[in-house]
Amino acid sequence: MIISVASGKGGTGKTTVAVSFALAARYCQFIDYDVEAPNADIFLKPDIKNIKKVSIKQPYFLTDTGNDFSKCAEFCHYNAIAVIGSEVIFYPELCHGCGGCLLVGPEGAVREKDVVVGEVAKGFTTPGIDFLKGNLIPGSMRTTTLQNELEKMLNKSGLVIIDAPPGNSCSMVMSVKNSDYCILVTEPTPYGFNDLLISMEVLEGLKVPYGVIINRDGVGDSAIEDYCTERNIRVHLKIPNDIEIAKIYSQGGTLLDYDSSYGEKFGIILKVIERISIGEADNHN
Amino acid sequence: MVKQITIISGKGGTGKTTIASSFIKMAHDHIAVDADVDAANLHILLNLTTIKKEDLIGGAVAVVNQTCINCGKCEELCRFDAISGSTSDIKIDTLKCEGCGVCQYICPAGAIELKKDKQGEFYTSDTQFCKLIHARLNPAAENSGLLVTMVRSIAEDIAYAENKKLIIIDGAPGIGCPVIASLNGVDFALIVTEPTLSGISDFKKIYKVAGFFNIKTFVCINKHDINDKNTEAIEKFCASNNIQVIGKIAYDENVPKVLAAKNYIIDYTDSPAAKDIIQLYFRLEKFLYE
Amino acid sequence: MKGKTVKICITSTGTSLDSNVDPRFGRCPYFIIYDTDTDTFEAINNASRQAMGGAGIQAGQLIASKNVSAVITGNFGPNAFRVLQTAGIKTYSRVSGTVKDAIEKYRNSQLTETSAPDVTSHYGVGRSN
Ligand code: SF4
Ligand code: SF4
Ligand code: SF4
Repeated sequence: MIISVASGKGGTGKTTVAVSFALAARYCQFIDYDVEAPNADIFLKPDIKNIKKVSIKQPYFLTDTGNDFSKCAEFCHYNAIAVIGSEVIFYPELCHGCGGCLLVGPEGAVREKDVVVGEVAKGFTTPGIDFLKGNLIPGSMRTTTLQNELEKMLNKSGLVIIDAPPGNSCSMVMSVKNSDYCILVTEPTPYGFNDLLISMEVLEGLKVPYGVIINRDGVGDSAIEDYCTERNIRVHLKIPNDIEIAKIYSQGGTLLDYDSSYGEKFGIILKVIERISIGEADNHN
Repeated sequence: MVKQITIISGKGGTGKTTIASSFIKMAHDHIAVDADVDAANLHILLNLTTIKKEDLIGGAVAVVNQTCINCGKCEELCRFDAISGSTSDIKIDTLKCEGCGVCQYICPAGAIELKKDKQGEFYTSDTQFCKLIHARLNPAAENSGLLVTMVRSIAEDIAYAENKKLIIIDGAPGIGCPVIASLNGVDFALIVTEPTLSGISDFKKIYKVAGFFNIKTFVCINKHDINDKNTEAIEKFCASNNIQVIGKIAYDENVPKVLAAKNYIIDYTDSPAAKDIIQLYFRLEKFLYE
Repeated sequence: MKGKTVKICITSTGTSLDSNVDPRFGRCPYFIIYDTDTDTFEAINNASRQAMGGAGIQAGQLIASKNVSAVITGNFGPNAFRVLQTAGIKTYSRVSGTVKDAIEKYRNSQLTETSAPDVTSHYGVGRSN
């Protein structure tokens, strides 16, 4: 079973929740899909055993062959190539590595080389958490390349907890689309509400069932809860707004360090989700 | 010349919007841009009347028609794993397709077309303080980078036409495409960070990205008093990299409450965070309008 | 490929000579191609304005193909600058005011050539000017 944890807005406690699930489950695969800002390792402290570089293929042009490369520039949909007379200017930061210029260019005069865009790290945390994260090189924009790499390593036979990147655009969708259930973490403020509604729309479009966890309960109003009650959306948990949690978080501590009963609470939520996904329980309040 | 400042944080939730909205209230001769297009929030806080709405036509994706002869070539050559079943029942995953055009070029049957779709909308709105350019991306759409580029372009058009002096950009989270689009070509970056281990990790990355652009970068540590040791670590890092820590904001229980009630923290002048934010703004102001 | 061209390009906010010089090269709304010999001009819509990335690169190639000898604008991004330099086109930046004034200044040799891009960045993404 794959459970993803997402949030329309960053900083709502998404990682805190995902980590709590993993610690409550004890035996699972944990994947940090937020390859631009992977942070779950700070809390899970895995022993990283294996780091694999991830690269894309980018072209280079043998200009001393006297060939005309203007077809390459014409083809490239990302404007990564400029051809002025016999000169070729290549802009690697714009190149997606599609291989098109190799296809359309003069035969043998366009070559390719591997360019590293990030890495995938594998590790282990006791008691039984297989940890996986992607890490994008600052300056690269190949977020999806790394996420595709993570997708290939999904272990669908057991429980998988996915920490999705914030937002509602394509990198979030990449992370939640394979899930059996998605937990949306939000804050009880108008902003949290706004972002939550968009996330719900995304998940409904993907036909992924979802429930809500409200973090920093008490800072705002009850609009989200009222909305969930009205629409019969399950609110699994409310986490209070407490400066102690912020302090523990700042040092890399978890919700279970704050109050060990959260282990049990998240264990129960996992059971509920399992029953929902096999059809034994309704996904309602 | 119009100056531009982008407020970024590596990850959301560090108080970026609180700071951006305070600046928007305090600045003059300015235009505001919400470049956090994934989770645009400024429009909720600011009282606005939208005066113009435009469609965002995003990057192309491949679409296949019935003339496909199931030769399998496109699937073999697509480097983004977007095509499946090409020898029986071909499917193109629009989420994975990057619109590179390779399949269209290679298809012997001319069965593939690249199509551009509406991916969102961008708006020009009047607010009580200044014009706000903001956007809404369709759920699950890509190209937030393009959307950021477009909202910034519109803001620049207006700034030149109306002789404005400053563009305040609430930047996107992460370090990827939308962030790069929010930073490219601006004069200043204000990185808002928190003294948490994850905050520090994100901060170092976003600092690297800002470094590629040769932008004058300032740092502000929000909730600095929740972990003095980490605050010190950030200050040390900044000192050794020659970045100015231009402000520190105290943890203040009022902030989320005030924000939730759609009010401005700087109006509560006796709250600790308000004082710090006002001071932060005045320290920055002399750079912004020089 | 240059020959003896007398055409120059000015980035513009509009289609007339009374329009202002637009400060952005890659994402300006219009290019005014002005023939200093015949005093005629043509305004070209800048299609690169909507480009995902590499607007400056695309615009640079377009201008290079128009056989102009100089480009006058507010700022050059690094990508566009490289294209124009490679094409042997003279670059003048930090110019403001109307297009007409800019042409006058150019005629009177009152503009100084730019030797480096005005906006430094390692990226063309999103918004290379
Ligand atoms: S590999 Fe694709 S994206 Fe890269 S330069 Fe060639 S055509 Fe452009
Ligand atoms: S356009 Fe490119 S990415 Fe999209 S399906 Fe075709 S080959 Fe794949
Ligand atoms: S290359 Fe064209 S004909 Fe061949 S499988 Fe793909 S779409 Fe069909």
